[in-house]
Amino acid sequence: MSLIKIDHLKLSIGDAPVLRDISLEVAPGEVVGLLGPNGAGKTTTIAAALGLLRPQGGTVRLMGGDPWTGGAALRCRVGVLPDPNGFYDWMTAPDYLAFFADLHSATNDAAVIARRMDRVGLAPRRGQLIGTFSRGMRQRLGLARALIGDPHLLALDEPTNGLDPRGRREMHDLLLDFAEQGVGILLCSHILDDVERLCSRVCIIDGGRTVAQGALADLLAAQNSKMRFRLELAGPLPPGGAVAAHVRVLHLAADYAIVDVDAHVGPPEAWRELFFLGWPIVAIAPEGGGLEALYLALTGGAVPGVPVQERAA
Amino acid sequence: MSPALRIARKEAGELVLGVRGQIWLAVTTAVLSGFSLLLVGSQELSLLDNAQVVYDMAGLVTALGALLAVIAGIDAIGGERERGSLLPLLLAPVPRGSILAGKLGGPVAAWGVMLALAAPYFWAVGSTGQNLVSGMVALLVLGTPVVLGFGFLGVALGAWMQSGRTALSVALTGLVLSASPLLLGPSLRQSAIGRMFDAVNPFSAALNGFDAVIIDSQGAFAQAGHAAVAVAWLALTAWAAAAAMRRVSR
Repeated sequence: MSLIKIDHLKLSIGDAPVLRDISLEVAPGEVVGLLGPNGAGKTTTIAAALGLLRPQGGTVRLMGGDPWTGGAALRCRVGVLPDPNGFYDWMTAPDYLAFFADLHSATNDAAVIARRMDRVGLAPRRGQLIGTFSRGMRQRLGLARALIGDPHLLALDEPTNGLDPRGRREMHDLLLDFAEQGVGILLCSHILDDVERLCSRVCIIDGGRTVAQGALADLLAAQNSKMRFRLELAGPLPPGGAVAAHVRVLHLAADYAIVDVDAHVGPPEAWRELFFLGWPIVAIAPEGGGLEALYLALTGGAVPGVPVQERAA
Repeated sequence: MSPALRIARKEAGELVLGVRGQIWLAVTTAVLSGFSLLLVGSQELSLLDNAQVVYDMAGLVTALGALLAVIAGIDAIGGERERGSLLPLLLAPVPRGSILAGKLGGPVAAWGVMLALAAPYFWAVGSTGQNLVSGMVALLVLGTPVVLGFGFLGVALGAWMQSGRTALSVALTGLVLSASPLLLGPSLRQSAIGRMFDAVNPFSAALNGFDAVIIDSQGAFAQAGHAAVAVAWLALTAWAAAAAMRRVSR
């Protein structure tokens, strides 16, 4: 059974349609990245998935149930790290975790709380008021709160925000550890490096629609089926501007060109063809690639140097 | 412990034991002390009938309680939303009704503390006169629904409006309007408009009940009409708060 299953979700806030057609699925043990530009609808999608907002169309299932009608009960096994993530600054971290443990009907035993704090690296801060915590410490405390009740699903919005490199690495290890134990994780992040390291699948949304969804490796392979290069040119192209069969020119300037080469051909063969056609190529460098290129291509952001109409779809 | 009680305990602790709560208690103590000193020390005011003094004190405590309740109610939702701490609570596996009930813990605790704080002042200004005990019972019976109604109103406005400041301005305007019988003279209140306003205004219901019990020596539990208005106010604001809470999504 999927932990979250969203099909063709539509949702408006007031008269403004925010989600137009969102589909998303998170299975146990899977880390799914939810990506999209600011205002694409990521937070609204999570809010609908957790039963905070009522969908106007499509279906949303959380642990197999309707989160809008059964939200409180279904959220027993869901840990959430929202963004923004506020706390009761006048409490200490153990008191805060004990408060939320009570709300989850989970044990608030001091030893359990201490283990939880230890797990997220907050053990030395036991007696300190939350108001004195740094941003990174607050993120760790938010994660500790999300882990109350031994969740089957974690929905994390920008979990590595404010963490130092070591903290980020620890967070990665912790999340991968949870995924190995069968916890499904929905990870919302603008840090694509986090997504590439952690996620087995991604869902990219833009303008309230899912524009791509699937295994990260498959999406990247599809994106990389056309390899992109920047060719430095010593002068103008030969008259007629002939192009090799397996090369597509995305942008042409006086001294350089951005081209896609079909992956099954291989760049060396493409370069040979272009030299044969008289292209004055003096240097070749890969241009973009990976998740960033995929993200930019799918979400309306222009790839530097490439006209918008030429973006990959 | 049920989630509602756990939230109520947190709210009460934050309000009564927190810095803001301590400041509020100090201010209340100062106001009650100043008022009591005026009543017993001022040559003109000390000539007031003793029952009138108790009546004035009951009105003042109700007004202060309502002011605290409405601020606490707004802060419980609107303030927490602005501090980002509301969303984790909304995402906890707790029904909205329990969150709402728990959020009223702050105003309830504050009102309880205020009543306890006011008791010695009542005794100081009214122990030599009539109807002191029945006046305090009337304050408990009629003042409580009025004050808690303002707490619910604060929650409703805090949940409904995106800005805590806007909610506070609307609530304070409403509070000043409804507490205007404290300021208006009896002749104005006896005009046709004044009578209509009095009939639906919970604050007036409480004041008229205090008047009947403390000054006219009627029984505290004989004020069914006044109590009905106060309870209707409580029910209306509770309904508004529940409806507004259902709409809160962040």
